[in-house]
Amino acid sequence: MKVGILIDVTRCVACERCVEACLGRHHIDSSKAMRERSEYNDGLSAYRFCSIIKAAEGRFARKSCMHCLEPSCVSACLVGSLTKTPDGPVVYDTSKCIGCRYCMLACPFHIPRYEWDKLNPLMAKCDMCAERIEKGQIPACVEACPKGALQFGNRDKLLAEAQARIRNNPEGYINHIWGEKEFGGTSVLYISDVDLSMLGWPEYIPRSIPSLTEPLVHSTPFIGMSVAIGLVGLNWIIKRRNKLFEENNPGHAKETENQKDVENE
Amino acid sequence: MNNRVRVLKDIFWILSFSGLVAALLRMLFGLGATTNLTDGIPWGLWKVFNMIAGVALSTSGFTVGFLVYVLRLDRFKPYLKPAILIAFLGYGCSCLALLFDIGLPYRFWHPIFMWNINSFLFEVFWCVLLYFTVTAIELAPLIFEGLKAQKLVKFFHGIAFVVVIIGISLSSLHHSSLGSLFLVSPQRLYPLWYSPRLPLLFILSAMGGGIMLLVMVRIIWAKFYNPEPVFGPVSRQETTMIHDSRGLVCAVSSRKEPGFEMPDISRLALIGTGILLIYLLLKITDLVALGTWRELLSGQSESWLYGIELTFGLLLPLVLMLNPRTRNKPVPVGVAAGLAAFGMVFNRLNVGIFGYFRDAEVVYFPSLTEWALGLGVIAAAGLVFLGLAEYLPVFDDKPANAYLRKIKIKSTSTSHQVWNVVLADSLHRVSLLAVFVIPISFILMYPPYRGSEAALIKPSLGVDLQRSILEIDGDRRGYTTTFNHADHQRRLGDTGSCARCHHICVPKDKSTPCFRCHQYMHDSTNIFNHEEHKLFVARDEKLNGWHPENYACEKCHSVGTPRTKNSARDCLECHRENMFLVGEPTKEMKLMYASSFCLAMHENCLACHRQEAVKPEYAHLGECSTCHKTLQRKDREKIVTAEVM
Repeated sequence: MKVGILIDVTRCVACERCVEACLGRHHIDSSKAMRERSEYNDGLSAYRFCSIIKAAEGRFARKSCMHCLEPSCVSACLVGSLTKTPDGPVVYDTSKCIGCRYCMLACPFHIPRYEWDKLNPLMAKCDMCAERIEKGQIPACVEACPKGALQFGNRDKLLAEAQARIRNNPEGYINHIWGEKEFGGTSVLYISDVDLSMLGWPEYIPRSIPSLTEPLVHSTPFIGMSVAIGLVGLNWIIKRRNKLFEENNPGHAKETENQKDVENE
Repeated sequence: MNNRVRVLKDIFWILSFSGLVAALLRMLFGLGATTNLTDGIPWGLWKVFNMIAGVALSTSGFTVGFLVYVLRLDRFKPYLKPAILIAFLGYGCSCLALLFDIGLPYRFWHPIFMWNINSFLFEVFWCVLLYFTVTAIELAPLIFEGLKAQKLVKFFHGIAFVVVIIGISLSSLHHSSLGSLFLVSPQRLYPLWYSPRLPLLFILSAMGGGIMLLVMVRIIWAKFYNPEPVFGPVSRQETTMIHDSRGLVCAVSSRKEPGFEMPDISRLALIGTGILLIYLLLKITDLVALGTWRELLSGQSESWLYGIELTFGLLLPLVLMLNPRTRNKPVPVGVAAGLAAFGMVFNRLNVGIFGYFRDAEVVYFPSLTEWALGLGVIAAAGLVFLGLAEYLPVFDDKPANAYLRKIKIKSTSTSHQVWNVVLADSLHRVSLLAVFVIPISFILMYPPYRGSEAALIKPSLGVDLQRSILEIDGDRRGYTTTFNHADHQRRLGDTGSCARCHHICVPKDKSTPCFRCHQYMHDSTNIFNHEEHKLFVARDEKLNGWHPENYACEKCHSVGTPRTKNSARDCLECHRENMFLVGEPTKEMKLMYASSFCLAMHENCLACHRQEAVKPEYAHLGECSTCHKTLQRKDREKIVTAEVM
């Protein structure tokens, strides 16, 4: 089952119950999770994986990991500490991470945050409560939402639901489901009546980031091999040319060398 | 040792020592405390400058290897050894800096066993690791030559060709892959620098910049140690003797013709120039093809950075090198080489750091610790280079360096003299430098521990209780909800009802806003300032002595009991009069902590709202949106005036 979360921005009232539930679920000391601790207005930090940000006048959107279908961070992590589970959540294995922070550079949504205040820091981000999903429960934030702004379920069904909502109320929504195709699609979907570009959604990039890099990285062994073969071939040609040149002009090479020595001295 | 070398070495030592201190501090206090890196700019000086630019500067190892072993251009053979040494040290110090840059240095070996073949960084890691080994093998003959182990030298010469071929293939991979690392951020990197051709641009500029660095090193070496082969022989006729004010005789000489090595150096630099020319053409094609040239004229700070990179780092050296009047003279060639190497490094900084500023909405400037470690590692590599080049035949100067010859004569006599001549002098200087530099850099770089203390947010002035409608902004981020104070007061029983909502205020204050104590949306806050209390108690009790605040303890903590929260007096014992109590407190309160704003408000309001919501006509009181209808501050005036009227 490919799971996802549908976020209806028109229903969110910014009560931040989802944030509270998230902190509780991850046993984070709430004094560390202050909005002010974050470097950005979005409030996300290594101790706050989910945050409410203002989308427009009176409109709020929950920001957290989008759990891309083809995640850039998973493709970028050199030790494979980030993986996408078959269910859909992108999860993080802290025991592998070396702290190179390439995932932070690779994420198109600025989601991964780093524990800068620790001596042995790790990355931190939303894991869509993967453990709860395995047990058959729904993510803590979805459970906590009092207004039904968050909805958890099969991604395809959520897509149908989102389309139905837009169809039934065409004036109340922009006819676009954010996350349907952007960056190859994400597990977290948004519908809204205001523009959501502040969440990091680009104008329109239908290709996933791994599709830009992975074909290239997979071709590198062949490039390396062909360079090596080319070099050996080139060397063989030049060697042969030098040899032929020497055979045709016997003693030439030696002479020039001697001349050089004389010049130098 | 001539004076210029001595000064250069001193600078290197100073940088190395401060780098050592920086490394120590980074290991003791962690990445966040010692660097200016943030969530917005996660890759800083160490990764972009030391790793990406440092590795790119070390390309001469494979390019000269290609010229000598594959193309069999024997005239470039003298540059092979310095090129390999530069490559080895460049990769070595890049890896060293990277070790401090990664968050968990003790896990640096993880990528050897944990693979993700989809990652460009993984490929770069392996190529750098293997190529570093390759440079070590290539360097081995030089070391064994110094140790006079001829058999080993022969063995390593035998496998040289294979090793060089492997080295070139690995280099062609990872130098382009360093550019591919940035392919992952098409919408984050500034469009002037993002291009699908980044790998090609990176490898071309790295090859050009690497050769130019080698040329620069060769010319600087000549300047410092043995000018004749490069700067030309001193022409005897023009040597004149001048008696200066102290009566010393100075020889003022002029050099007319560049030295015999200059044509070869110039040829090498021209090869680098050729590569850079292709790079320039590709860069321009890229600008035109992607339509990003318009950004160049936009006058943004990025366009200026791009302009500096292009003009000083690429066009100026190309002009210097392509001009037939300057390309055979050592100084212009040296300047051109230096500029080209600078341009390449600047390009890496642009791509890796500056290009991300606009998207991240933060500006990053490396901290002192970052500069110290970043430059210190390079300075240490410079010291090793100078050390090896002085004692091993790195540069094949035909008329052997006068300085080296002197050392050899003295050092071979007795071990005692070796100590005197070589070590004692420099050891004194170095230890003297260390004594001064290490403590100073320690004091300068000692980190203010970042992140453990939250910045104190000043509460704004008290809320004007006279106003009928209050604007409540729980986490003070500009989203407010309006609270009709007058209406609530009226409904709950006028002035006698204050105590139903208001509990207590801070001493001597009559209109403290709720968030003065309930500071954060979800956090309880410590509202008791112990340090301040010590001072105030001492002042109020008129205690005397050196540190009167130290005698104030027993005013609150009863004598003989441990000084903890539990042994302290209740705040109200002292503050009963000036605390502005609205009613009797229901329970004994120590008042150390105030609950979070969210909790306080919810407990305060929800208790009544829930009771009322049961009634069908007040059902809306149970909904979140009744209170959480949000309002911008700028609309405040409008609403307040409207309601009052």
